[in-house]
Amino acid sequence: MMTAQDKNAVLQQGLALRLSDVPLLGIYALAFGLLHWAAQPWGGAGFFSLWYPAAGLRFAVLWQRGARLAPWLMASELCVHWITGALPLSGPNVLPEAIGGMRPAFAYGLAVAGVRWLTNRGTGALTMPPMPLGLAALAAPVLAALFIIPLALLRPDLPGTGIHVSLVISLTGFAVGDMLGVLVVAPPLLWFSGSGSVPRNAPLPRPAALIADGAILMACLLLTVALWRAGLGLQPIPSVLAGAWIGLRHGRIAAWFAILAEVALFLPYTAGPVGDATRLELHLGIAAVVIVTWLAGSFADAQEAARTALDKRNRLLFQAERLKTLRAMSVAVIHEISQPLSTLAIEASHLKDRTAALPPDIAESAALIDRKARTLSELVRRLRRFGGRNADAPSALPVTMLLQTAGQMLAPELREHACLLQLVPAPPDLIVTAQEIELTQALVNLARNAIAASADHRVQISATAAGDEVRIEVSNRIANTPPQEGAGMGVGLIIARTIAEAHGGTLTRNDEADLVRFALTLPLAGVET
Amino acid sequence: MNTALTAVLDDDEDLGQTVARLLMRQGLAAKAFVAPDDVLDALPSLSIGCIVSDIQMGEMDGFAFADALRARDPAVALVFMTAWPTTAHAVDAVRRHGGLDYLEKPIDEARLLSAVTEGLAWSRRQRRIAGATSAFTRREREVFELLVRGHSNKEIADLLTISPRTVEDHRAAIVAKTRTNGLAQLIALSRGGDD
Repeated sequence: MMTAQDKNAVLQQGLALRLSDVPLLGIYALAFGLLHWAAQPWGGAGFFSLWYPAAGLRFAVLWQRGARLAPWLMASELCVHWITGALPLSGPNVLPEAIGGMRPAFAYGLAVAGVRWLTNRGTGALTMPPMPLGLAALAAPVLAALFIIPLALLRPDLPGTGIHVSLVISLTGFAVGDMLGVLVVAPPLLWFSGSGSVPRNAPLPRPAALIADGAILMACLLLTVALWRAGLGLQPIPSVLAGAWIGLRHGRIAAWFAILAEVALFLPYTAGPVGDATRLELHLGIAAVVIVTWLAGSFADAQEAARTALDKRNRLLFQAERLKTLRAMSVAVIHEISQPLSTLAIEASHLKDRTAALPPDIAESAALIDRKARTLSELVRRLRRFGGRNADAPSALPVTMLLQTAGQMLAPELREHACLLQLVPAPPDLIVTAQEIELTQALVNLARNAIAASADHRVQISATAAGDEVRIEVSNRIANTPPQEGAGMGVGLIIARTIAEAHGGTLTRNDEADLVRFALTLPLAGVET
Repeated sequence: MNTALTAVLDDDEDLGQTVARLLMRQGLAAKAFVAPDDVLDALPSLSIGCIVSDIQMGEMDGFAFADALRARDPAVALVFMTAWPTTAHAVDAVRRHGGLDYLEKPIDEARLLSAVTEGLAWSRRQRRIAGATSAFTRREREVFELLVRGHSNKEIADLLTISPRTVEDHRAAIVAKTRTNGLAQLIALSRGGDD
């Protein structure tokens, strides 16, 4: 457990100014002052500006460097306001005005810390990057605006104290100005600074997509103008639709350019001689467009990130599956090789003994053949130990899974023979204790024979419970020629029977008129025999 | 002097011939077979002491063959070989089907030879015991089995609920039929020893 002292120490360390932060704070103060000044044309009664890019700078710094910088940004901003004379350095209201000046940076720090904290705890679509950034970009201005309420209650000297129309206008104007500033300025700043949620390796937009997005934007703007000319005022709906469409289709970068286009078109107009009320109304519309566009882009990028993660997991699964198939095949190959190798090794050894007295070139050749045959024999034994029973320990295995795995392994043969594999759905509670690789191999061998012999390009595999056993049947129709009795079992069938018997089961053949049917019975797991 | 034949049974004819030739080079009589039925048919005419059999062979596998063989002649030794070894099979081969060994392919020559040599010696002992005791009556065989396990006449009489006098008679008949001299030789005979 941490003591209170420890916690204090950690907090102090966390908030302490680092040397590397000093130049940043200097640049920040300068840029903040400039951006603050540049926002003046969009000002109005009760709020500073309806377009406040300085908020974007503040948000970008806090998001990238962490909420720990919040106290230092509060101090920087206060100094800027004092130097520029925006806040009084003397008089009865020095303290309340100073607190009001530090309010935004404090609220932004709190919002960033809160969203980070929630992201670290929770799981779900909203915590998938870049959704947290999107949420924080909206939460920070809202929180900063809400903090105006308690501060306003502390200022009885200002007109319109309490919950009043002017306070609502003030809150709205503040929130709108900050939000626009954050969503327009912060994203490029974060991208250029290489922050965590940059869409790295983002592909360059395709020209077709660019043209399509541009056309949609243009069409919606024309619609806006048409509505305006019709006397319906400047309606944000067409732009909201365009922004949502572009964001959802092409992600955050496209969304940001759409936002930039909207803002670049409308801000010069609203900076002109329009009334405060009109300006506020227009900016509310622009804010709606910007928010929807930005969230749509963030959501699309989050979906894309989730899809990429899923793809990666699927690829890993696929690789594991292939490895399993490879091992099953190697077991079969070991068997096929060991048979002729037995003959080869014995004869090579004999040849070596008999040619020892012959001229050296013959004797050496024979000795070499013998040595290589021995090496190969040793290799086969070692591979068998490696890929054989030890590596494939018996485990509880649902029969449905066994059938599915076999079906996947058979896919190439099925394609080659244009054959249809009918896997009759098996009860999910059928479970056997088995060496998965070997048992799958047995089933695959049976099905392979069936595929090769099938007259109507169909092979059926079914599994049913029969007492305390499961009965897996592989059947296929054959042409009306009489079955080749005594043709002997292929090696695949022999292996299948060996595997079945090693699992305490049997392999039998129960043919009907024109149907070949092999039945593999295995004891069900959890049943005492 | 191994006059008994070793049969090599494998559906891979090349391997069967190769193993048979290998055994022949070691001075053993050996013959390769491809089908289990051929070996069973040859049992009466050939004096087979040991069979080296593959396990995975067509319709009749090595274990089914072992059962058929035991029913016809219990004194033939069996050595299994396989290209598809499993633990369950190895245990079954030795426990249930009386195999002397279970060889994995590719075959270890030294192990094959020692298994076959051991198998031929085991078969020889079984045949000698069978030969010596073939003339016994059912009761004489029972008395013989108990005698060579070290039971006294009195104990045998109690166990078989016959009189000690009758045991004496059976014992005399056993000695006469086996042409042995005393209990020690009877015990040696029961173990198939060379006297």
